[in-house]
Amino acid sequence: MASIEAIGLVKEYGKGDSRVRALDDVTISIEQGEFVAIVGRSGSGKTTMLDCMGLLMQPTSGRILIDGIDTSTLTDNRRAEIRSTRIGFIFQEFNLLPTLSAIENVLLPLRYSGGDRKAAHGRAAALLEEVGLGQRFHHRPTQMSGGEQQRVAIARSLINQPTLVLGDEPMGEVDTDTANALLALMRRINVQRAVSFVIVTHDLDLAARTDRIIRLSDGHLVSDERTSAGIKQTSPVMVAPERGDGIRHDAPSREGAKVAIPSLR
Amino acid sequence: MDILRNLWRRKVRTVLTVTGIVMGIFALTTMGALAEHFNVLLGGGITYYSSSIQVASASGSGGFGGGYMSLDTVNKIKTIDGVIAVGPAVQVLAKPGSVSAVNFGVPDYVMNYDPASFRYSDFKVTLASGRWPGDASRFGVTLGSSFATEFNKHVGDVISLPVRPSDATSDFINHQFTVIGVLNQTLTAPDSGAFVSLQDAQMLMGDSLPQAIRSNVDPYTLITGAVVFGKPGVNLDTLATRITKTISGVKATKPTDLVNSFKAGGAVFTFMTTAAALLALIIGGLSVVNTMIMSVTERTREIGLKKAIGAKTRRILGEFLAESTAIGLLGGAIGFLLGLLLTLALNSSDPSGGLFLITPRLTLIALGFAVALGAGAGVVPAMRAARMDPVTALRAQ
Repeated sequence: MASIEAIGLVKEYGKGDSRVRALDDVTISIEQGEFVAIVGRSGSGKTTMLDCMGLLMQPTSGRILIDGIDTSTLTDNRRAEIRSTRIGFIFQEFNLLPTLSAIENVLLPLRYSGGDRKAAHGRAAALLEEVGLGQRFHHRPTQMSGGEQQRVAIARSLINQPTLVLGDEPMGEVDTDTANALLALMRRINVQRAVSFVIVTHDLDLAARTDRIIRLSDGHLVSDERTSAGIKQTSPVMVAPERGDGIRHDAPSREGAKVAIPSLR
Repeated sequence: MDILRNLWRRKVRTVLTVTGIVMGIFALTTMGALAEHFNVLLGGGITYYSSSIQVASASGSGGFGGGYMSLDTVNKIKTIDGVIAVGPAVQVLAKPGSVSAVNFGVPDYVMNYDPASFRYSDFKVTLASGRWPGDASRFGVTLGSSFATEFNKHVGDVISLPVRPSDATSDFINHQFTVIGVLNQTLTAPDSGAFVSLQDAQMLMGDSLPQAIRSNVDPYTLITGAVVFGKPGVNLDTLATRITKTISGVKATKPTDLVNSFKAGGAVFTFMTTAAALLALIIGGLSVVNTMIMSVTERTREIGLKKAIGAKTRRILGEFLAESTAIGLLGGAIGFLLGLLLTLALNSSDPSGGLFLITPRLTLIALGFAVALGAGAGVVPAMRAARMDPVTALRAQ
């Protein structure tokens, strides 16, 4: 079953003469476990696409199906519930709450989804370990680097065990090394947890390391291609040794590089 | 916990906002305590005066005013249709010549104890210890609670009445009385009274007359007023009019006139309390609105994020309302506590027991008002937060 489907998606802004069509009849289907990049120039409609897929915005017409559920007729509250339980979000500027520690930020979605807080606490701790922040549970966002904050955000996106994670330029605010490391981390999670990832990026090098690249231009879907990684379906990821700061710095994968995926700590 | 952390993010602003509420609730508490004290005082007066008719000499203002009438007026009034009992009243100042520019209470007084008046009145006074003066007894006094506290007297102690002023004239006379009883606190007029037998009260009244006329007057034939009680079902206002018309030289005040004047006095204090509450509303409320609007604006992205990760509109509304309510509660609690401490301190330094009365009702009003103020002031900002579009909010700068 498709993780998420967009069928005939149209989104228009404004009224009358100033009306702009940001998405024009876009249809895509993303399978469970796929890692997809949406690319395009600014104004191409890629962010609007992601907002519609994340149920943050109602399309003018067309439908979004998540895990087979047609969301076009749902109430705002029901859409909030789906966001809370089935979708994880990662943003360009991390969007962590400054008053909360790393682990409290990871637990934040629990506040709105309900659920067993005690079990979630164990899960949050494990997730922070998984993203390489085992020593920083109680640090505040201001005490962490950009890369570390985004790792907290990745852990937060996974706390409610979603089937789909949406990333809006998740590597847009960090340097190249950190961007590579973050992508490798998401890739590892994607493979190990079979969580679908859809990220919007303007960085074609990063996009090339996903399974599939969807290209938008002026609101139109212009191409939808599998990358070599996607064709192989083996998702090779090379992981560099730690640089002594407790964080894995993953090297960019090279064509044909063949390494084993290390076991998680 | 989270609420407090959010408030603490902008310490100075939160402190200033809370201070606004503190000031308002402090004013409300102190003014309210003054009003509560007077409401009890006036309430006692209303109960007492609405069940009896006060009769005084038509030439004077009665009571402390220096009007006198003959003791046998009492017997004349008794014959009037509708009267069930008449009590003679003789009242003199207990601390003549004491200077008090502003007096919020009833000045200390000495009065005769009339069993009939106490039996028929709706206003009940009870003994804390000892007994009332007997009809024909001499030089025994039963003290009101604040009178006893003021002079630190207990049953068996001796007290000179009236109390000698520091600048007493050469013809000042007082007498030694033995305290035979102390009354329970009523928070109204009887607290500052000293009750003696009719003859003792008449004697003290005679002593208080100017020396030139003292020798020409037999004080034992005079009273300063009379208290009249009507038979069940008799309209006291009508009865008062009948007394004034029938007996020359006396003026019977209609109970409703007295009660209305008490109520008018009460209205002044209610107005003062309301004004204090309004002050709290304006300073405190507006600053909470301002603070919350700034807080919502600053945290636009945070609101967007919360919505993205599944917070429903009502939940966001609740979070911001809880924050503004917490400001109200915090300010209210501090303001009330400051008010309580100040009124307790002022009361303890006042020998007559003080002017302030913090009642459970006032506590509830002050804290409830603060909480309602915080919540009310938070409504508009919280609605603004709850209605934000997540996409716009997430990408706000």
